[in-house]
Amino acid sequence: METSLTGSLAKPGFRSDLRALFTVMWREWIIFTRYPSWIIAMFIWPLIFPMLYILTARALAGPDGRGMAVFMETTGATDFIGYIVIGTTVWMWQNIVLWDVGFSLRNEQMRGTLESNWLSPTWRFSYLLGHTGPQFITMLMFITITAIEFGLLFGIRLNGSIWMILLMMLAAVPSIYGLGFAFASLVITVKEANAFVFLIRGLVMIFCGITFPISLLPDWMQSIAKWLPQTYLIHGMRAAAFSKAGIGELAPDFIPLLLFGTCWLVVGYFTFLWMERRARRTGAIGQY
Amino acid sequence: MADFAIEAKQLIKKFPARPGTGDKGADASPAPRRRLFAKKKPKAMFTAVNGVDLQIERGEIFGLLGPNGAGKSTTIRMLCTLLEPTSGTAQVNGFDIVKQANDVRRSLGTVLAGERSIYWKLTGRENLEYFAALYHIPAEIAKKRVEELIERMEIKDRSNELVEKYSTGMRQRIAIAKALLARPPILLLDEPTLGLDPQAARRVRELIAELKQEGHTILLTTHYMEEADLLSDRIGIIDAGKVIALDTPEGLKRRIDQQEVIRLELTGWHDDLADKLRSISGIQNLTTRQQGEADLWEVNLHAQNSRLALPRIVESISGNGTRLVNMNIVKPSLEDVFIHLTGKALRD
Amino acid sequence: MEIIPLSQPTLRNQLRALYVIARKDWKVFWRYPLNAVSNIFQPIIWITPVYFMGKAFSTNGQALGFAAYSGTSDYMSFILLGTVLTNFILTVFWGMGYALKNDMDAGVLESNWLTPVPRLLILVGRTLSSLLVTAITSAIMLLIAGALFGFQPTGNTLAAFLTAIPMLIGLYGFGFAFAAAVLLMREANTLVDVSSFLVQGFSGTNFPVKSLPTWLIPIALILPLTYGLDAVRGLLLKSETLLPIPVEIGILIVFMFGMLWFGAWVFQRVERRVRTLGTLGQH
Repeated sequence: METSLTGSLAKPGFRSDLRALFTVMWREWIIFTRYPSWIIAMFIWPLIFPMLYILTARALAGPDGRGMAVFMETTGATDFIGYIVIGTTVWMWQNIVLWDVGFSLRNEQMRGTLESNWLSPTWRFSYLLGHTGPQFITMLMFITITAIEFGLLFGIRLNGSIWMILLMMLAAVPSIYGLGFAFASLVITVKEANAFVFLIRGLVMIFCGITFPISLLPDWMQSIAKWLPQTYLIHGMRAAAFSKAGIGELAPDFIPLLLFGTCWLVVGYFTFLWMERRARRTGAIGQY
Repeated sequence: MADFAIEAKQLIKKFPARPGTGDKGADASPAPRRRLFAKKKPKAMFTAVNGVDLQIERGEIFGLLGPNGAGKSTTIRMLCTLLEPTSGTAQVNGFDIVKQANDVRRSLGTVLAGERSIYWKLTGRENLEYFAALYHIPAEIAKKRVEELIERMEIKDRSNELVEKYSTGMRQRIAIAKALLARPPILLLDEPTLGLDPQAARRVRELIAELKQEGHTILLTTHYMEEADLLSDRIGIIDAGKVIALDTPEGLKRRIDQQEVIRLELTGWHDDLADKLRSISGIQNLTTRQQGEADLWEVNLHAQNSRLALPRIVESISGNGTRLVNMNIVKPSLEDVFIHLTGKALRD
Repeated sequence: MEIIPLSQPTLRNQLRALYVIARKDWKVFWRYPLNAVSNIFQPIIWITPVYFMGKAFSTNGQALGFAAYSGTSDYMSFILLGTVLTNFILTVFWGMGYALKNDMDAGVLESNWLTPVPRLLILVGRTLSSLLVTAITSAIMLLIAGALFGFQPTGNTLAAFLTAIPMLIGLYGFGFAFAAAVLLMREANTLVDVSSFLVQGFSGTNFPVKSLPTWLIPIALILPLTYGLDAVRGLLLKSETLLPIPVEIGILIVFMFGMLWFGAWVFQRVERRVRTLGTLGQH
């Protein structure tokens, strides 16, 4: 009996780690669907948040639309609603990732399940990576709903290629989620990290041009904007949407995004390793 | 290398002391925000485990017994690789807990924090399927084992309900089933009956005894004397981060065989009386416990020779509004061993 | 046997209770100075995109389109004033509901309610220190934002201030009704987030309501806040108002009495219902 127990240790390997990763995603998805309140948020927020800026833009345009002509000329946009929606959607994407992915481990820590995951021999980064899968799917739903709502209600018409827009978004995935990983790891050991979310999303709101071209920013602000990947994402998506930009024209946005993405993924991964080590020394995993 | 299931040498764990809390108390106040402005102070360290040595044989149930905050949980958390020792080494199933952490995890089934360790928004079955994958059990085998365990834990007809609808006892059984999924040779059970009603606790104890029969080595922590006495082959008594005694339950009790335990029940207890009783020659330890809300006190005295001490005890008690209700000379229990060793009661 | 006299519900005692509640909240707030910093900077962050967007709509620094709606091209003063008023609106409107929710979560609601102080008074007390905090943080925000974006009030400050008072008092009525909703639903966040966005949108915090799409304008006209914001701006920035200012003030005063009566009535009904159901201590 004794020998049969000792001889039966599960074998680690790439395949079983991969299966564990998919199981984390499966679990996350099931739990997500068991909290029904997300449906309301999913339909209301895409509409409400851009609305405030869109209505302000209407006011700035004036009853005869004289401001609008100026705006079109400054921005090169063919549709001011689409222009604003692209900016606000990027902001919301980063914001939601910071809250969702960023607090994924923290929530498990508070529920008490983080320790029991940590006890298993699975590659621990899976817990974070696994959380990202379902989050990404819900985010795609969120963005699709945004597009449908504004397409139907406001008749946004983009004259660019939808594929180029998607390509830009894909290029931004590593940056946006890398930031989320770094944050998620930080929250475990540094409590009360909410302030950090406010900082990041504040930076995006101020510097990345969510409702305006960054050429309107003073020089010193433009030089800060250059260090934020969201700036390139917003710019690239707008270029793809309004000026039929091809891959060549998008490269100045596309390439920095990939570079930032690499950096943020590396930072995210190493922050995670740092947290993992630190937690083993301080016992932070089990505290709440 | 001697083939112990678990072997620990001089394990020490120090934490940066957190103001106000000695142990893992919930730190509810959002005060850390203010750290941004506060100056850094030199870190005070708090020693949770202070040189623990353990050698646990294969196939035995080893009970780690001690009051809250004695270092039981910290020791377990080091052995299951959640914590890294400040110094000292330990091997679990022959693997080093620091250098071969993942092999240690493969060798262990651990139950920590019982019902909080599983997902309440998943069903019992989903929980087990999930953890099976984390423990790298191939899908076909996992399916079979989950089925067996659901059967064994007597939750078959409710296995497809959400865990949030379960009773605490059922959740605890799921947590134990989770630990058994990978058929690990060694099980670590941290307070497995904490918070269970007597019936559920008895069911868990029966289960632990069965698991030993099946060949598992079990390290069990508890602060219930009776539980440790009933289940363990050997017991380590831990206090203030140190193992202060290690023996079979009988061996431990034999240590104070020369002693007798005099149990008094009386009303009108006052603290002066304690000093009076302690001053009687031959009296070694004294503990008191209030019986419920009423003014009825249980007083335990350890005496070398009760015949000599009794008359003087009775003499000390009489008068001053104190009244003796009952008096017994009893066989020492593990609790008395603990009192003998530490001079204090296990449950305060 | 000595008879212990019951505490008397005199006005003095009630006011003292109000003061004690407010002082406690005041102390708690300042224990977290980052909150104050966040209160000051969040609104500035949120209107920064509007500032630069405004530039994209301007020719030679003049927002002509905006001027055609509002009678002033100084859109930043217009929006900043809206933001300050919104701070106050949110404090009163949601403050009571949030305080109630916090007490419920912390489990202290029952112990507060066991005291002989009228429950509506407790709720009002919870907003008093927030009002003071809001006044301080808004003033600092206005100073900073004024330095960054420019803020030029040209009109009668005192008149504008007096106009805001009936609006705020009327909002207390709203707040009572909202607190009642929280009591029933035991959830505040989604409700607050969504409706505060809607109120901000439709009462014209960031823009003149005239610029709304025609089909949305009726919603704005139903909200009494619209007239409050409009009148205060008319007095302070000399912008064009929807109705003559005295008429708008009249609407605000009617609103004040109506809402206070309605809010108190709803709250008392709900509170009695909750007492019957016995769900006060649950969460």
